[in-house]
This record gives sequence, C-alpha cells and structure tokens, in this order.
Amino acid sequence: MKKILFSILLTAACTFSMMAQDEVAAEAKVKDKPVRPGFQSGMLIDNQTTYVSSPKTLEMDIQHKFGKMDKGFSDLFGIYSPGANIRLGFSYTPIKNLQVGYGIAKQNMYNDFSAKYVVFEQTRNNTFPVALALYGNLAINGTDTTGSDKLNFYGVNRLSYFGQVIISRKFTDWCSVQLNGSFSHFNAIDSLYDHDKLSVGINAKFQFSPQSSILVEYDVPLKVQGIAEHLAFFNPAKPNLGIAWEISTSTHTFQIFVSTADGLLPQHNAMFNQNDFTKGDLMFGFTIARLWSF
Amino acid sequence: MKTRIIFLSTLLLIAFAFYAFHAPQDKKKGGPWKIEAKYKAMKNPSAGDAESIKLGKTLYAKHCKSCHGNAGLGDGPKAANLETFPGDFSDAKFHAAYTDGEMYFISILGRDEMPKFDSKIPDEEGRWAVVNYVRSLKK
Repeated sequence: MKKILFSILLTAACTFSMMAQDEVAAEAKVKDKPVRPGFQSGMLIDNQTTYVSSPKTLEMDIQHKFGKMDKGFSDLFGIYSPGANIRLGFSYTPIKNLQVGYGIAKQNMYNDFSAKYVVFEQTRNNTFPVALALYGNLAINGTDTTGSDKLNFYGVNRLSYFGQVIISRKFTDWCSVQLNGSFSHFNAIDSLYDHDKLSVGINAKFQFSPQSSILVEYDVPLKVQGIAEHLAFFNPAKPNLGIAWEISTSTHTFQIFVSTADGLLPQHNAMFNQNDFTKGDLMFGFTIARLWSF
Repeated sequence: MKTRIIFLSTLLLIAFAFYAFHAPQDKKKGGPWKIEAKYKAMKNPSAGDAESIKLGKTLYAKHCKSCHGNAGLGDGPKAANLETFPGDFSDAKFHAAYTDGEMYFISILGRDEMPKFDSKIPDEEGRWAVVNYVRSLKK
C-alpha cells in the first residue's frame, strides 16, 4: 500500500514538475521579444538591410553617385565629373515586415520593382539569434537601342533579376553586422559575359551617437565555374567597398559615402563593376530617404 | 527736424531690437489637453528604469530633439517655426501637471503641431522610454 501511495505521489510530483517547466518555457517564449532594430534604415549604401519600416510608411529615396575621384582637384574629386548616376525610388510597407518598392535610375534608364520580407527577427533571449530577410528585384533596362542591337534587345531581353538572402545580428546597441548571399540574372547580356552571377557581402553599422553611425560594406562577386558559360571569365566584376556616415532623424535618413561601384542597382554592380578600389577607383555619393507615416 | 528724425529712428531701432528679442517668448502656449480617462490612469511599467531612460534618450534624439531641444527647453532648431511653444521639460511645474499616462498620450498621440508618433515608435517599451527620458530632464 505504501509503495502504491509513494508511486502516486511520485507521478503527481513529476507531472506538476513538467507542467511547471512547460509554464516556464511558455513564459520565456512569450517574453522573448524581438531586439530593437540594429539598423536605422532599409538601405546600407548599396545594400539592403534586415530593417523594414513600420507598416503604412512611405519612403522616398534619392540616391546619387558622383564620378570617380581619381582626377583630384581638376574635377573636384568627381563632383564635377560627367559620370554621375542618380536613382529616385519609392517604397511602401503595407504590412509588418514587408516592403515593396519602385525606382528609376539614370544608368541604363533602369526601372526597378522590388520587394523585401523579414522572415524572422532576432530576439532578445536568442530564440532567434539572427534576423533573416529576403530581398528581390526585377529591373527593366530602358536604354534606347535603335542601333544594331535593336533586334536582340526587346521585351523580356531587357529584364534582369536579383535575389538576396540577408542574415543580420545586432551584437550591441552600437554594433550590427550582416552577411548576404545574392544571385543576379540578366536575360540578355553581351556574349562575353555570363547571364548569372553569385555574390556575397558583409555589411556593418557602428553607431557612435543616438543619430549617427559609420556604415561599411564589402561585396564580392564570385567567379563560380559551375554556372559560368565560358571557360575563362572576361572582365569579371570587381568587389565593391564602401564607407558611409549615416544620420538618422524621425523623418529622414542621410548617408554620405565613398564607394567603388558606380551602379545603383545591386545586379548591375555584381555583373559589371570594373572599378577597383585598390587602384583608387572610388567616388562620393549620398542617399537621402524621406519617410511619411500614414 | 533732424533731431526728431534721429530720435524717431533710435526709438524704432530700440522697438525693433526689443521685438526681436521678445518675439520668441511670445509664442502662444497650447491650451489644456483633452486626454481620455484610460490614458490618465495608465501605469508606467518602467518608471525610473535606467535602461528605459537610456533607450528614451536615443528615441528622443531621433524624434523629439529637433523641436524640443537637446535639454528639453523647447529651443530645438525647428522650434522657431512653430506657432506654439513646445514646452519646457526642465520645469518642475510641467511634470507636476501630468501623470505618466497623460504624458504618454501627449507624446505619442499628439495634436495640432505636435505630431503623432504611434507609427514611428510602434512598441510600448519605446513609448514609455520617451516618457521616462522626458521625466529625467526635470531640474
């Protein structure tokens, strides 16, 4: 009888103990809120971040890159250079963690449509130790091709695509780092290039005051023989290095930067960038983002 | 005649100088806030918490400082263009006039020239952090 009573008490104790553990686990799950955003803007120089604005926020972006600064004072370090590039873009956050956008750029008269979705956010108790975002765009090359290329450069041949996986980690209030892996595809491209290109990148933000940060980007287009269409790589794209000073206010984000690539669309830089920062191919640029909340 | 012109010019200059220095002080003060009862009774979950004040300082710098000023004196760079004085957060009377819940309502939901910040500061933690930081500006 004593044994039976002891068994019942033991079973009850175990059950209560497990229930208590479940409650603790459930409580921990409820309490594990997302960390506060590691990045203050959806853009980091030429890259996207895992940050998406609050729902019903409209963002207007003005991106500008001057010419290369290698001529020094003669063209005021590229500011008077004719090789400038500009993009005007709009993006909107219809629901939490989803952003859709549209923009036009001077270079190749690109029109681009984009979407970004934050799959999950980093949480405070490391239930999710990182944030994961997916970004993609479709760009239309609007260049006037009334010359010899007219026959080959129509309709879908003008399209290019870009897909990216971004993983970020906010280490401290002042330091956040993200890694990205990207795939670019051009429907039509010069015969010496490949249609597809893989690239990887690392970006970081170092915040040194409530509103100011230093941003760094380094993107490397990869030479992957498995997806190459030629035995040798013809003028493979060079890495893109950039460093910026970011100022963030309630309704604006400003980034003033020096970077290597002259493009304002990621697939263009991944495929065509011939500027080499080791040879001093750098240019000034800036991005202004204006935010409206509805 | 010449003396009179000089006298009138001097008077005009003094009046202008007086106006120039006096005008910013003449900004009208906002009338009493109409705050719903549920906000008046709201409990601040992080009152006086150092981490919350630290977060509030960051959010204040980003969203509030341009009008309310670095020390909350209502002297931010945008304040000159406002018709209403943004308030002096160092003044003990200001803090005595409102409960934390009322301060939450004023800070986040706004009215007239004071914008809404409910979408820019979407989480409760951030909203209370702003309230706590503003409280910490009291002299």
